[in-house]
Amino acid sequence: MSTSNQSVLKTNRKPGVTPVKATSWYIVLFLLMLIGVIAFVIRALNGLSTTNLSSAMPWGTWVAFYIYFVGMSAGAFLLTSLIHVFDMEHLEEVGKDATLVAIISMVLALFFILMDLGHMERFWHAIWYWNSTSILSWEIRFYTIYIVLLLAELYYALKHDKKKLKLLGAIGIPIAIFGVHGGTGVLFAVVKAQPYWNTALFPVIFVISALVSGTALVTAIYIIRNKIAGKEPDISLVKSLASWMVLFLVIDVGLQFFEILVGVYGLEEQELATLATIFTGSFALNFWVVQMGIGVIIPLILYFNPRTRQSTTAMFWAAVAVVIGILGVRFNIVVPALTVPVLPGLPAGYYYPSWIEWTISIGIISLGIIIYTLAVKLLPIDNK
Amino acid sequence: MEKITRREIFKGLFPRVEVALAGGEETRQPRWTMVIDLAKCIGCDTCTVSCKAENRTPPGVTYNVVLTEEKGNLPNVMVINTPRPCMQCDRPPCAQVCPVRATYKMANGITAIDYDRCIGCRYCITACPYGARSFDFGDSYEAEMLGYEAIQAPEYGVQRGKRQGQKAPKGTTRKCHFCFHRLQRGEEPACVETCLGDARYFGDLNDPGSVVSKLAKSPRAFHLKEEMGTHPRVIYLK
Repeated sequence: MSTSNQSVLKTNRKPGVTPVKATSWYIVLFLLMLIGVIAFVIRALNGLSTTNLSSAMPWGTWVAFYIYFVGMSAGAFLLTSLIHVFDMEHLEEVGKDATLVAIISMVLALFFILMDLGHMERFWHAIWYWNSTSILSWEIRFYTIYIVLLLAELYYALKHDKKKLKLLGAIGIPIAIFGVHGGTGVLFAVVKAQPYWNTALFPVIFVISALVSGTALVTAIYIIRNKIAGKEPDISLVKSLASWMVLFLVIDVGLQFFEILVGVYGLEEQELATLATIFTGSFALNFWVVQMGIGVIIPLILYFNPRTRQSTTAMFWAAVAVVIGILGVRFNIVVPALTVPVLPGLPAGYYYPSWIEWTISIGIISLGIIIYTLAVKLLPIDNK
Repeated sequence: MEKITRREIFKGLFPRVEVALAGGEETRQPRWTMVIDLAKCIGCDTCTVSCKAENRTPPGVTYNVVLTEEKGNLPNVMVINTPRPCMQCDRPPCAQVCPVRATYKMANGITAIDYDRCIGCRYCITACPYGARSFDFGDSYEAEMLGYEAIQAPEYGVQRGKRQGQKAPKGTTRKCHFCFHRLQRGEEPACVETCLGDARYFGDLNDPGSVVSKLAKSPRAFHLKEEMGTHPRVIYLK
């Protein structure tokens, strides 16, 4: 979701954004959103049969996007907490931007999960009825608290109230780590029927990969916004952000390696079948090309090559590659485990998103970009 | 949209109290149990067919299936048929994960689904170790079977009218409930009644003299995926 913005309109000397370009930016986004709205109407009228989901394959694209954006949000928020709580002043320039990204990502995540409900009109049941043993039930409450907290944080960030920001950050860190994203990982990890999800390391990997994607998105947005405004991004800030991103990425890959290793040694049929699906089966392309190639190898090469590390453009592409790679990670969490039947003889699931699923997803993301663009234009997000 | 009574509000706020209130009167209920003798199962799929007819389940929704596993190489081959209804687990993972308590354990041992409360998140489908849950995508047999949509099975004793109507369990998760509506009329589940090999037994585990109580003690008795800790209410005989 690399993006651009119109806050730069006020610097009308810059050749980067002309009113024509700004208008066409909005037109393209609105058209994508309109297609999404049409797809949504079809989906609302015909139910989930418009998706390629089945009883053998109950979760797909929208759940993957949901955990993707929850992760993005938690990661971006934790980055702002580093700034406010641990006084990392040198990162302060991206603080408000990161908070805004966290809010919008969380709202998008909730849109995605709403799309996925068989009874969208009953969404309020999730708040009204409470099952204390259901992780999903807890998560919905955590998300609500978290969004309120983020809005408060944005408010105080705009007012430059550092004391309140520190307090909110301190409250928010455990909520974001254990509640929002760790909790979303737990949502999968407690499902014993799916051995691939059912590990204690799973929620930890969720939190680390949230930090990876959140940092990457904030980095990408910081660079592209400065470039569009015709300013040269602060290379030391970019390098600092990229270092955090790469550190998280390396830890993430290491933990995933352990998880897969332990899974293989367990010799559990269903787990082995899931791993086979990921490595050599119908999702091999997603794993090797998107998750490992784009998401890990390309950013690491760009970062560790001394020449490209000095280039903000190269760092931008490294960040974008990570953002795309983590989407592959999210799909590989949700889909392959479910394609393996839980009992021998049951039908195996196969899944590829339908065009309704694609267009609604693109529509929701376009909505997010529109909100972001308007927010940076209307709110005093930039420090200068 | 359902109407919310004051009692419902109370239930929503204090789930534990609700259980305590319900407990007293229902303890004397039977604990329904099914025993399936695999040695007698001939793999004819009559249970699957009669279940579909009884519950009028739409395409893609199957409460009961017969899993067929072939073992060995020719000429020494063996086919094992394993009918798989819902296990009605005593520790149901589906009820554990349901965010709205739409799936819950009834005192008589049946794991029920409240179709009017289910939000259709399908978390339970991923959590069931037996693949016993289906999602009703709203499909229909009307093209192949005249009058399919005219009426729906009175699952859980609730009249749900036409398939096209507002009360149809479309967009919710569905599964076997030991034909609860038949039990209410004093009848056996459809699969038990129609089984050609007489491989299925049904009864009350609370009654020590019942056939199922005796068969449950058989050395041939086992559960599917015992290691899951779900304590299934369907017992298989090897």
